[in-house]
Amino acid sequence: MRGEATIEVNGLRKRFGPTLALDGMSFTVRPGRVTGFVGPNGAGKSTTMRVVLGLDAADEGTALVGGRPYRSLREPLRHVGALLDAAALQPSRSARGHLLWLAHSQGLGARRVDEVIEQVGLRSAARRKAGGFSLGMRQRLGIAAALLGDPPVLMLDEPVNGLDPEGVIWIRGLLRSLAAQGRAVLVSSHLMGELQGTADHLIVVGRGRVIADTGVTELIAAVSRGRVAVRTPEPERAMRTLARAGATVTVSGSDALAVSRSETFAASGNGPLTVSGGEAFAVSGGEAFAVSGGDLLTVSGLPGERIVALLTADSVPFSEVVAQRATLEEAYLELTRDAVEFHAGTGREAVR
Amino acid sequence: MRELRAEWTKLRTLPSTFWLLLAAVALTVTVSAAAAAIVSCPSAGCRYDAPKIGLSGVQAGQAIVVILAVLSAGGEYGTGMIRTTLTAMPRRTAVLAAKATLLTALTSAAGTAAVLGSVLAARLILPGNGFVPAHGYPTLSLADGPTLRAAAGSVVYLALIALLGLGVATAVRDSATAIGLVFGLLYVLSVLPYLVTDPYWGRFLWRISPMNAGLAVQSTAHLSSLPVGPWAGLCVLAAWAGAGLLTGGLLFRLRDA
Repeated sequence: MRGEATIEVNGLRKRFGPTLALDGMSFTVRPGRVTGFVGPNGAGKSTTMRVVLGLDAADEGTALVGGRPYRSLREPLRHVGALLDAAALQPSRSARGHLLWLAHSQGLGARRVDEVIEQVGLRSAARRKAGGFSLGMRQRLGIAAALLGDPPVLMLDEPVNGLDPEGVIWIRGLLRSLAAQGRAVLVSSHLMGELQGTADHLIVVGRGRVIADTGVTELIAAVSRGRVAVRTPEPERAMRTLARAGATVTVSGSDALAVSRSETFAASGNGPLTVSGGEAFAVSGGEAFAVSGGDLLTVSGLPGERIVALLTADSVPFSEVVAQRATLEEAYLELTRDAVEFHAGTGREAVR
Repeated sequence: MRELRAEWTKLRTLPSTFWLLLAAVALTVTVSAAAAAIVSCPSAGCRYDAPKIGLSGVQAGQAIVVILAVLSAGGEYGTGMIRTTLTAMPRRTAVLAAKATLLTALTSAAGTAAVLGSVLAARLILPGNGFVPAHGYPTLSLADGPTLRAAAGSVVYLALIALLGLGVATAVRDSATAIGLVFGLLYVLSVLPYLVTDPYWGRFLWRISPMNAGLAVQSTAHLSSLPVGPWAGLCVLAAWAGAGLLTGGLLFRLRDA
């Protein structure tokens, strides 16, 4: 690996006609971790990536890869591996032919091409026309192209798009291992859940600028704010006991519906989402089962073990005490609430 | 030069490159042979230009050359591959120069084969139609200065057509539009002088038409009656190709990919 493993984006501004696509976008991607690049559609993720790669010119600001502007790199694929658009290839060329011209453009040989073909598991399809590939196979081919130059920096735009569950697991493992090797990995997504369990750090963008640049753990903790859900058949007594100890208690709803998040993409589906109204049942891992009746209280200001101790001491019955950990999705929604672009066709992102 | 090697790999891994070059040769030779087969010179004093007849297939073969040249740039825009290309090779002028060099080389090679085939076909067919020394037509031969000029000039003509196609395709970034534009520039502009009644404007339009002026290089007889001389005519086409390539190159450098 050559060069520094960083991407530095500083004050990027870019206008497409009436749309301000980038409005002072600034962030740094550091080596050794997977950085998620998230934001609603039209937030400027793809435009930022295109500016970093020298495909689009910014009106203002700079983008550096390993401290150098992309266009000054003689063998750019040895510095940055990028996957912007898996369909960006000529359909009548074979997968191997596609990788071969890319290799030749970087002074690499056919041996390296066969290595990356092996690495992404496309060996049996390497001599077939790329135009006949499924979206998932094209994504693998695009990732092979990104890995070709063994670059210290990787930048992937929506890489799990179109992959089957097996492919999703594969790419997550790949991203984790690339970061563990000390590379800087930037992965964009408009679905926060896709990044849960993969990204260590998050850059959340909206309307062409950075809304949050934070670690995943910190972000979730900040949004959860130490809330604990308590289910009890005697809510009044419980509220009195807990309020006396200094907690803030709210009734989430009688006969509340507790749904435990367990999305396919959200590996750590342990953040209960409370919904008021309806019959009392809980959904966990896709299976529904009845829960003994009781009201659900949301307690903040006290840790779970203290709540259990207090309720036990006052012999208040309770059936559940669960620390409410917000999902990445909830954190994201809270952050981007004001930044969502509602109108369709916001510039180039919609065209892609 | 890395760009040259990569672009060469691109061309040779695309099956259409080979078939288009083969089609250009086949079409040129076939049309040349057909033209030689339908003219006849029953007696001395017919005013035909035998080498020009023998090379008339170039007018058809150039269409395939245009398609090949346009696809080498426009095909990348149609698929979005241009972004992959420019990510791998950010030096845009070098990319365009590599494409231009390879197109020149490939069309020159195919053009040489097409021209040699055409001359050979005409040499075999024309004498049967009265083009004999008794009627003032020695056997067609590249040893004859003007015939050699017509043949070599035709090869250069095809290479320049390819560069024009590349320039236009890079400028408009769409294969269908580029092919339409270049065909219009060649074929429509070539008949326009004959539709204009004013002789001054007729000659002027003839002189600036890339196809009429460019193919003046094939003329070996009645040169004084041509609006433009053989090499000067080829220069007119070269100016068109240069302008196309320059416009395409400037836009290629300046625009977002």
